[in-house]
Amino acid sequence: MEKPRIIGIGAEARLYLMNLFGADIIIKERLPKKYRAKALDLRIRKERTKNEARIMFRLSKAGIRCPRIVALGRYSIYMERLEGVLLKDKEISSREISDAGQILGRMHSLDIIHGDFTPANLILDNSGKVYVIDFGLSAMAKSEEEKAVDLLLMKRYLKKNLYSLFEDAYSKTYNDSGKILRRLEEVEKRGRYQIRTLA
Amino acid sequence: MIVLGMESSAHTFGVGIVDDGEMLANEKAMYKIGTTGMIPGEVARFHAENAADVLGNALKKAGITPKEIEGVGYTMGPGLGPCLEVAELSAKTIAKKLEIPIVPVNHCAAHAEIARHFGKLSDPIMLYVSGGNSQILALEEKPHLHYSVLGETFDIGVGNMLDSFARKLKLKPAWGSSVEKHSQGGRYIELPYTVKGMDFSFTGLATRATELIGKEKVSDLCFSIQETAFSALCEATERAMLLKNKREIGICGGVAQNRKLKKMLKAMGEEHNARLGFAPDEFNADNGGMVAYLAERMIRSGIRSRLEDCGIRQRYRVDTARLG
Repeated sequence: MEKPRIIGIGAEARLYLMNLFGADIIIKERLPKKYRAKALDLRIRKERTKNEARIMFRLSKAGIRCPRIVALGRYSIYMERLEGVLLKDKEISSREISDAGQILGRMHSLDIIHGDFTPANLILDNSGKVYVIDFGLSAMAKSEEEKAVDLLLMKRYLKKNLYSLFEDAYSKTYNDSGKILRRLEEVEKRGRYQIRTLA
Repeated sequence: MIVLGMESSAHTFGVGIVDDGEMLANEKAMYKIGTTGMIPGEVARFHAENAADVLGNALKKAGITPKEIEGVGYTMGPGLGPCLEVAELSAKTIAKKLEIPIVPVNHCAAHAEIARHFGKLSDPIMLYVSGGNSQILALEEKPHLHYSVLGETFDIGVGNMLDSFARKLKLKPAWGSSVEKHSQGGRYIELPYTVKGMDFSFTGLATRATELIGKEKVSDLCFSIQETAFSALCEATERAMLLKNKREIGICGGVAQNRKLKKMLKAMGEEHNARLGFAPDEFNADNGGMVAYLAERMIRSGIRSRLEDCGIRQRYRVDTARLG
């Protein structure tokens, strides 16, 4: 068996690629952060790993496109490898952004919040399907506020016309979307959120 | 170019003088908050009473006469209305009398820019932490030079949270720095930790920590509230830095005086080969020097304001402030 090879370093985890019994596997391992107290560090890493795995299982079960889990460690998740490109690294097409809107709509129908729903966490695989990844900040929650914030992140990122396609697809997929969109308006009106753009 | 800057957005009345980016004077008078927090009207009266003295001290320190001043800047906001008006009126009076250019300055941008200057940072991820604000900023060139907000607190500023907690613990003085002092030797107690992407929230943490007063040791509480809040700030900053591919970290604002927070950010940066830079403490606390510094740069880049357009904006967001 070959040694795992580092393929990505994120803010909280390292990604390794390895070949396991002929299949490419990605290992997401949450690394210790030297800057925080050990007790807090262990708790954050353990809770997030467990939480992330739970969410991924639920999504897979509901048929929402995300990487499938193959094995689970205390601080690491072993998952299938998706081959493709991140939406943040390409010109996003209207079909792709609608797919993304549908994914978020379906997640919210299950009361699952992504927590960091941006083009940096959406992959277009080589067969042209959009997948959602990275559930490190995801949670089970019915809260309108948190669902609205999922939309807000995307709204900040996307140009207006692309965002409206995203919102359309989201609304069509999620029955309660009206409430969330109204909440989003409210959230945006609050001083702290005003005129925030990510250039 | 000799430029004077005036600051009075909260409890500090400050006057700074720069000459071609060099700091000639940074004088201030600080209202003592005591146990009540800030009552805007009273703080404003304090500023008005001290304005002339602080200005006099600054001129003396810089060794210049008023006639040598070539431009003036003041803090337009964000801040407390009655307080902001003191620097605004003083600056307008000076500009009118001396017939020199005047520019309104964004308080947050001034904090960030002075940290960039002293910290020798070119294009950092900037963590701006003070009583009222907690934001993660990055410079953007288009359509004009400004800071964009990548992440920020959903509720209260980290400084306000620590100060309120110090008051509830009846620590003296009731500041965030007392929480730091009392955290020595503390053990970690589990408290709510809230980071969402690059945003964070502190009220849940404050509520839980307050519930535990009397049930847990003061040192444990101080250590844990600080550790939890600062870890959240570090994590959000780290994520912003990686997303924007930056290799410099800056920290500014009143809470940037906290040594523990700087130590944590430095350790975080080292994991990514990123350098931490910041200003000396007198420029992290509110001050007029940072206003003078940014005002000079704005005037040099051609920004001008008519006297009648110079007002105050209590909720002046940093991402709407043009810097050059």
